[in-house]
Amino acid sequence: MLAEIGFLDIQIGQPYDTFGEARGEKKARLFAVYGYSFLARKPESP
Amino acid sequence: MVNPVTVSKLEADSQARMEDLSMNTELPVDPAALREEVKSKYRDVARNPNGEHHFHTGRPLARRLGYSASLVDAMPDRAVESFAGVANPFSLRDLDPGEKVVDAGSGGGFDCFVAAHQVGPQGKVVGIDMLPEMLEKSRATADLMGLKQVEFREGLLEQIPVQDRWADVVISNGVINLCADKRQVFSELWRVLRPGGRLQFGDIANGKPVPAGALRDIELWTG
Repeated sequence: MLAEIGFLDIQIGQPYDTFGEARGEKKARLFAVYGYSFLARKPESP
Repeated sequence: MVNPVTVSKLEADSQARMEDLSMNTELPVDPAALREEVKSKYRDVARNPNGEHHFHTGRPLARRLGYSASLVDAMPDRAVESFAGVANPFSLRDLDPGEKVVDAGSGGGFDCFVAAHQVGPQGKVVGIDMLPEMLEKSRATADLMGLKQVEFREGLLEQIPVQDRWADVVISNGVINLCADKRQVFSELWRVLRPGGRLQFGDIANGKPVPAGALRDIELWTG
């Protein structure tokens, strides 16, 4: 979706085990849910 | 240190997951109903940050997500205790001194305080949140910390109260996934960014498909 809207130079960081050892871990594992950092740039001209 | 993975299978997969939730013209859940559920959950995080939640909070979470220990250790407890992010918007790139920043879904203000440290007194940070309890807390904390470059405004991510092309950077952490209409949210983030500006955000993505029935279960969205 980021690219479709027009963002460029999209980067995604390594996954964080955000829910590990938390009460929500079981549901997170069920759908392999992890946290990610995203970086993208809006172009200078549309 | 995080090694960025440029456009790759991971990105394709995670974008596909987000599109699963957002590309349909018919939203999977009622946005207003989801918003009320989110308010209920995060009101509790504001009032009772050390209570039992389904996610980590506070200093242990900041450590898990790789925030600078020296920076976080120097903050008062109330600046960190309601932090409930899912990743680290500053891990792929720091902010530059003097930059103007919008935090979409600022909660207790933790990421705004990190941003304020990076942009310095010549910069400006505007946190947006819909919960009065979080806004009251974050404003009082900013006053306590003497951060005059930080301001908090009440608003929704679908209608961000910031003028067009104002921000050099938009940050967010664990909030976009809680919005039903992600296309509208990303369009708003685009609107407030200046040309050439950056979007730096943390959010969750699922590696396994979520059944359509589960997508309509608001309880699963927030818990």
